[in-house]
Amino acid sequence: MKNPKVKLLFLLFTSAVILAVGPAWANTVKVGVVGPRTGGAAATGQAFDEGIKLAINYINNKGGVLGKKLEVVFEDTAGAPDKAASGFERLVTRDKVVMVVGESHSSAALAEIEVANRMKVPFIVAEAWADPITAKNYEYVFRAGPSNSGVVNETIAKWVAHAGFKKAYIVAENSDWGLGIAELTEKALIALGVKYEKLTTERKSQDHYTELTKIKEFAPEVILAYVYGDGLHFFVAQAGELKVSPRAVILDGAGPPSLWPDFWKNVGEYGNLETFVSSMHEKVELTPLAAEFRTMYEKEFGKSPTDYKSRSIFDAILIAADAVKRAGCTDADSLVKALKKTELEGTRGIIKFGTTPGGPEYHQWMPPMLIIQWQDRNQVVIYPPKAATGTLKR
Amino acid sequence: MLPMALMNGLVMGVIYALAALGVSLVVGIMNVINFAHGEFYILAGYFSYLFADTLGLNPILSMSLAVGMVFLFGIVIEYTIIRPTYGNHMYSLILTFILSIVLQNAYLLIFGPYPKKPPGWVKGATNIFGDFCYGNQRLAALAAGTVLIVAVFLLIKKTWFGRMIRAASQDREMAELNGVNTALLNTFSFGLGCALAAAAGVVLAPVFPVTPTSGVPVALTAFVVVVLGGMGSMWGCVIGGLILGLVENLGAAFISTGYKHLFGFIILIVVLAVKPSGLFGSRET
Amino acid sequence: MSYKRFYVILFLASGLFCLLPLVLDLYRLHVVIVSLFYVMMAASWNLIAGYTGQVSFAHAAFAGIGAYTSGILTVKAGMTSWLGVATGTLTAGVTGLGVGFLCLRMGGIYLSLTTLGFSEILRIIITNEYDITRGTMGLQIPPMIAPYSKAVHFFILLAGTLLTLIVVYKIIHSNMGLNFRAVQNDERAARSLGVNVIRVRVLAFAVSSALAGLAGAIYGHYLMLITPEIPSLDLQFFVLSMAVIGGLGSFAGPIIGSFALTILSEYIRAYGEYHVLVFGLVALAMARFAPQGIMGLARQFMPASGVRQ
Repeated sequence: MKNPKVKLLFLLFTSAVILAVGPAWANTVKVGVVGPRTGGAAATGQAFDEGIKLAINYINNKGGVLGKKLEVVFEDTAGAPDKAASGFERLVTRDKVVMVVGESHSSAALAEIEVANRMKVPFIVAEAWADPITAKNYEYVFRAGPSNSGVVNETIAKWVAHAGFKKAYIVAENSDWGLGIAELTEKALIALGVKYEKLTTERKSQDHYTELTKIKEFAPEVILAYVYGDGLHFFVAQAGELKVSPRAVILDGAGPPSLWPDFWKNVGEYGNLETFVSSMHEKVELTPLAAEFRTMYEKEFGKSPTDYKSRSIFDAILIAADAVKRAGCTDADSLVKALKKTELEGTRGIIKFGTTPGGPEYHQWMPPMLIIQWQDRNQVVIYPPKAATGTLKR
Repeated sequence: MLPMALMNGLVMGVIYALAALGVSLVVGIMNVINFAHGEFYILAGYFSYLFADTLGLNPILSMSLAVGMVFLFGIVIEYTIIRPTYGNHMYSLILTFILSIVLQNAYLLIFGPYPKKPPGWVKGATNIFGDFCYGNQRLAALAAGTVLIVAVFLLIKKTWFGRMIRAASQDREMAELNGVNTALLNTFSFGLGCALAAAAGVVLAPVFPVTPTSGVPVALTAFVVVVLGGMGSMWGCVIGGLILGLVENLGAAFISTGYKHLFGFIILIVVLAVKPSGLFGSRET
Repeated sequence: MSYKRFYVILFLASGLFCLLPLVLDLYRLHVVIVSLFYVMMAASWNLIAGYTGQVSFAHAAFAGIGAYTSGILTVKAGMTSWLGVATGTLTAGVTGLGVGFLCLRMGGIYLSLTTLGFSEILRIIITNEYDITRGTMGLQIPPMIAPYSKAVHFFILLAGTLLTLIVVYKIIHSNMGLNFRAVQNDERAARSLGVNVIRVRVLAFAVSSALAGLAGAIYGHYLMLITPEIPSLDLQFFVLSMAVIGGLGSFAGPIIGSFALTILSEYIRAYGEYHVLVFGLVALAMARFAPQGIMGLARQFMPASGVRQ
């Protein structure tokens, strides 16, 4: 510690020099994507990567946007709200993106919408379900994906009533998504007159024996499990070991974890008769674009799509490109105006954002959701009845 | 509720003890806390998955290979990274702490974020005393863990190698004077410590699949057990592991599942405040 | 070097820093602000690790105490951010005094393990008490001065950094600082000279914890969002790497390390999701092959005496 003077000056100059060198302007229209590439839900990042690749090819093969190529910059949020907020900001200040799409963690999205609102950047949320994301009615925030209240009231509660369950158990992870959807489910179950109990669990927990023993004592007919990621695999496997299921039907209230490549390895035979929520089925296609997506996906990656989040991000990028085209410029307020008038065929239906302010339906488009059951390792749609390919087995 | 919690506590206690034995061995002989202990545990889980699942080898062969490879990896790490840190707590802590983060992120790059589960040895569940169901794989892990702990005790207490280890951990200079090559012994013991983490890893991975970061709680728990039992004491590890397993599971069952892992750390702080040498520790550093 | 020269250099450097908001865009200003936060963290961690030779794993936890105390007080009790930051700093300092008192008489491995345990306890409590802390979801808190401006927060963090550096400098050049080194160089010899080893360590620990609390509290208000990532081992890893790479036990080391690594991590971030791996490998190579860090003039870390018995 001889002479900090030299070091301080050295430090000042090096940092100034390094900071002064910046990325050069490219002749593209940049759209930012936020999502977890690392952390517990890094699988979503992989699904996003696939969807992004297909979307870029799809749009640029058709001539790009505003005579320029579309470029996507993917910023990792690791599923953490703080990284999400700073990543979002980085996309805007460093990469100068015109719009941001993506996100699959409600907690991260709730941090990002604050930044979007403050920096006035249009943001289309793809797969973060918490109601407040759109219920805050921020002018720059849209959601082309499910909301908790939509999933609960349109799909899960109706299914519970349809199947005639009388006793239910709600298991929620302690995140914005888990706690939010559990509360909405409670309200819906009270309205239905279904007896229920509820417990909260830690997202990263690997051992659910204690919780399951408590659940077994209540002897529910259905367990509504709002646990994302590996936690769900452990839960399903251990519920099987303790003979809690198949006496009680387990519903994975998110979906993708039941379709992850290692699901069957992790749960073994106990995965049979598990049910999950999804906006995609391996055989049912809702629009012509969905069939095209499947062909493109199989050609590009040599396998069939499983995680429906690759389609969600594909749709979100399409919406963004469509809005830029219609706005004719990249000015934020024009883009918001264009987004409000979106009417676009996506892979999950015709996308059109809600316009009634006040609730979570504002700037929100709710894709149709299915409830699917694993029956001898085949996906069988059991709800809604008009799309059903089979019936609930217990 | 109670029988289930006791059973869980017993199973987890044995696994904790096994994981902690490796930490304890390295502390006792080398005076080094290996922060990356949990990452060796995870590595064994990945190897065992790779051999048994991807290559389709026999599970027992896969597990032995996995433990062997982690042992070799441990020796390489000792030789390249740990060796210059002897006698310097701070340096070894810093190095192994950085190492643990490097390994976690390397696993993410190599094995991806999904949990990896080696095939189970047995299927199904057993109804115990007609009272509650318990996964057979967990019972198998309990048996395997017990056998391994007994084997380690025999190795240390009954063999020539064990005598050298005990001599070196009691008085290093004396052992050197008596012709023990302590550098070689260090390398070998560090490898052995890693192999014990690996053994715990292959036993538990079919129950709790491994992810890049799931080694962290294992290492933290092992540290708690080592302090609770007394640094360097083998019996301390076994008793400490069982106490911790029981306390955590009883606490989870009757107090709060969310605070399950808090109990262990509270024990740690209390032990350090009241009797820093632990239950069976003879010396204080 | 005299006190006077130190202050001249410090204020000259910060004068130059004051010009930064004029020349940098928002993104680069953000990078500088994050660097300043890490300077506060690494410099204060260096006070215990570098000057008393005790590896604490709870430094990030103390930053968390500062951030959460201030955040909760401003959100739930309507306190002003300034008062919140002051209370947060004080709380971190007092907790540091307690933890230090509890485990510093053993030192060495025991201190590291206790601080590790403490940091885990804090993380578990924050994650579970989501009614108050919002757990892993993160608590949204107001900025230091509304409406939000990066430049304003830059000046606040710059002031915090100056304060931290002055406190650290004063301590290591006081009698207490001389005692630190005596303790680090030879504990038993220092004790025989009448230096109260434990009191010296506990004091250093408390001051260092308070400074971490200050850094965490201000940084939380800058981000307007506090999550358990602040009191996490990941953040601890960054702080430790910065101090080690810059040079433990040297005054300028952690400052250089913080800037170098924050800027480095911004650059390698462009290469995808494995930036932490690259970062870790750099840190590991430095720590193994150049343990004195960039400064290259730090003393040997810790003599072997007092460890072997």
